[in-house]
Amino acid sequence: MNTFNLAPLILILPVIGLLLNGLFGRRFVEANPANGERLTGWLASLMTIGAFLVSLSLFLSLLAHGFEPIIVPLFNWIDIPSADFLVNWAMQVDTLSVTMMLVVTGVGSLIHIYAIGYMHGDPDFSRFFTYLNLFIFFMLILVSGSSYLVMFVGWEGVGLCSYLLISFWWARLDKNGVPANANAGRKAMIMNRIGDFGVILAMILLFWTFGTLDYQAVFSGAVEMFEANHMVAFGGLSVPLPTVLTAVTALFLLGVTGKSAQIPLYTWLPDAMAGPTPVSALIHAATMVTAGVYLLVRSNVLYEIVRTSGATILGLISTPNLVAWVGALTAFFAALIAFSQNDIKKVLAYSTVSQLGFMVAAAGSGAYVAAMFHLVTHAFFKALLFLGSGSVIHGMEHGHHHLAHAGHGATHTDDDGFDPQDMRYMGGLRRRMPTTFIVYLIGSLALAGIIPLAGFWSKDEILLHDQTYATPIFIVLAIAALGTAFYVARQLIMVFFGKPRHAAAEHAAESPALMTTPLVVLAGLTVFGGLLNLPYLTRAMAEANHNHPAGIFLMLESWLEHSLASFELAEEGILALPRTPVYLSLLVAGISTALAVGGLLLGYLVYRGRPRTSSEPDRLARTPIWWWSVLPLNSLYMKGFVPLFNRFSVWLADKVDWAFWHDFVHDRVIRDIFVTGAEFSANVLDAQGVDGVVNGAGKTTQRLARGLRLTQTGYARTYALAVLLGAVGLLVYFLFMAG
Amino acid sequence: MPSAVNINWYIALSSILFTIGVLGVLLRRNAIILFMSVELMLNSANLLFVAFARHLGQLDGQVLVFFVITVAAAEVAVGLALIVAIFRTKKSINIDEINLLKG
Repeated sequence: MNTFNLAPLILILPVIGLLLNGLFGRRFVEANPANGERLTGWLASLMTIGAFLVSLSLFLSLLAHGFEPIIVPLFNWIDIPSADFLVNWAMQVDTLSVTMMLVVTGVGSLIHIYAIGYMHGDPDFSRFFTYLNLFIFFMLILVSGSSYLVMFVGWEGVGLCSYLLISFWWARLDKNGVPANANAGRKAMIMNRIGDFGVILAMILLFWTFGTLDYQAVFSGAVEMFEANHMVAFGGLSVPLPTVLTAVTALFLLGVTGKSAQIPLYTWLPDAMAGPTPVSALIHAATMVTAGVYLLVRSNVLYEIVRTSGATILGLISTPNLVAWVGALTAFFAALIAFSQNDIKKVLAYSTVSQLGFMVAAAGSGAYVAAMFHLVTHAFFKALLFLGSGSVIHGMEHGHHHLAHAGHGATHTDDDGFDPQDMRYMGGLRRRMPTTFIVYLIGSLALAGIIPLAGFWSKDEILLHDQTYATPIFIVLAIAALGTAFYVARQLIMVFFGKPRHAAAEHAAESPALMTTPLVVLAGLTVFGGLLNLPYLTRAMAEANHNHPAGIFLMLESWLEHSLASFELAEEGILALPRTPVYLSLLVAGISTALAVGGLLLGYLVYRGRPRTSSEPDRLARTPIWWWSVLPLNSLYMKGFVPLFNRFSVWLADKVDWAFWHDFVHDRVIRDIFVTGAEFSANVLDAQGVDGVVNGAGKTTQRLARGLRLTQTGYARTYALAVLLGAVGLLVYFLFMAG
Repeated sequence: MPSAVNINWYIALSSILFTIGVLGVLLRRNAIILFMSVELMLNSANLLFVAFARHLGQLDGQVLVFFVITVAAAEVAVGLALIVAIFRTKKSINIDEINLLKG
């Protein structure tokens, strides 16, 4: 059955949820806290689950209809016939967008359900779920749009939701009285704005070159113009197409560094952990931050044309290679930075930055399927880790409350400094929270890349590709993988092993089933997610499978290649896409396993039984690694960008806005022109012109009447004389003149 | 019977009578005199009608005179009634005192 007409439902359902919750949610919750929370929470969750079911039906329809992209038009968005400018709001249902839809709605549903338990008792419960549904709505616009412009609407929309949810507890102040949550939201907004600027410029260039922003038209146009060595005219300047596409792809990369938190704009993501933990899991790990990777994969044709043409930026590096290097360096540095973090969520945040670096590096080196594969598995295990950390924080807070109520407060005077997210206060939680421990262990091992968990397969595919095509990037990524395993071991040991270092950890309790059930489901996905694109042991098996009807061995590769036009173009010999047939290289798998196990072992050796107390300094605090890990980009933002930005905004406010706009433009120019004009019309036009005509008519009539009155003497003889004169006049006329 | 008197004499007499009437209307103040002057003018016209009727040998002018006399009689009746009414209110028929229509 063809269910493509259902596609708009994935946008409509979240809108229903957000409208109902936004308009009535607060009233429900206030009227009856327990049932109201259940109602709003489940309403939002059911809408997301509904969107997931629709995505699933789209998936089945694509299977039955030969995987070819389907365009579902919704309406004409911008239509200017005189300028021949038409933007359709249409949805592109293809294997790539459906993959993203399934991840967004699937992981999103689990996180919604988890959040019902996590946000229990929050005064802004309904606002939270309204924002979550709004986010799902915009994220689905982003992945389902059939043109860059529609995608950009979603791109900006998820940025807005990210801001709203990071600063969800905006009124909270930190120890120094700084509204840290609100500031974190602003930081995310500003950093993303820099990236969005690049996306806008890239779209303008694309529109100039191709006259459209529809994916399919842009890509087919780009390939045609590339084959014809077409030159693009900018006024009198004529530029070869690959040069234009180099600019476009470099500007897209700027957008990617903002949205997917890559060097140099990544600094907002760690701060974004100020938001509630389900938000960190949904937006800042599983879905929104992968939008940049989606953009790269979606634009694969453009990047591959640049790669094939050999065009470079100033003769230094071609944009796909730049993308790969940005990703690899981000993966490497973020993994290092994770060493020095004590906040359980900050570790995961830098880990996310690092893993996004893996995906970006994969996309940049042409391994688009591997990038998407890692995106999917990362969504599973990182959502699992974040929700697990939320469960840990919940447990720690529970333990802390327990202390306060049990009257232990007097003996624990360090409560002022207590932070439920600080790993130095944890320890030994595996006994207090067994379910959380097991699922967290599964997620951590998947992150570290231990066979056979999902993370191993996807990371291995990236490494395999780069080992074949880009050895320096392979080396950087391999070191990053080692670092990943190391900080994973450090975190596991600090949180779950050893002895409790704070009374709150001693009294921590397991979270309710509403929170642990999604964790278990995600853990299952993490264990079996590798099946999505399980590699073959030999090339022969891979080739044999390609002869199979695609429906039997459904692999991500044969599924996604219907959306990746550059695969087909490479087979036709038009593009030179480096493509690894998916099969397992024992060398790379061995190296990757050795790195993972080695990293874990190293972490175990360094942190075994440490730290003993919550105030003991980190064992690496005196080593160079620690100092490297403090990459100066964040202080560059705080010390360089923020004061500069503040000064700029003060200048804008004082000089441009107040002195120029208010005082000069408003008070001088606009007001004076208006007053002069008004005075002219009042005193000259009205008083002299209009009144002059009206009064003049009256005065003239009066003057005329005064003259004529003289003839009316009232004496009968005057009238008789007039009659006589008239008669004589007539007589004279008839006698002498009318002849 | 041939005409013994030249038509020009009739015209001259009629003109003199009409001029006297006009001057009477314009110069005198007594309303009764005014009416008499008006009668004089009417009769000067009557004289002319009759003279021309005889001169031309047609009866039209003589017929018209009867109409004029009839109208003049009616006019005098209305006019005298007005004068009586004015005299009753103003105790005067001095035409210069009746100037309520002065603008």
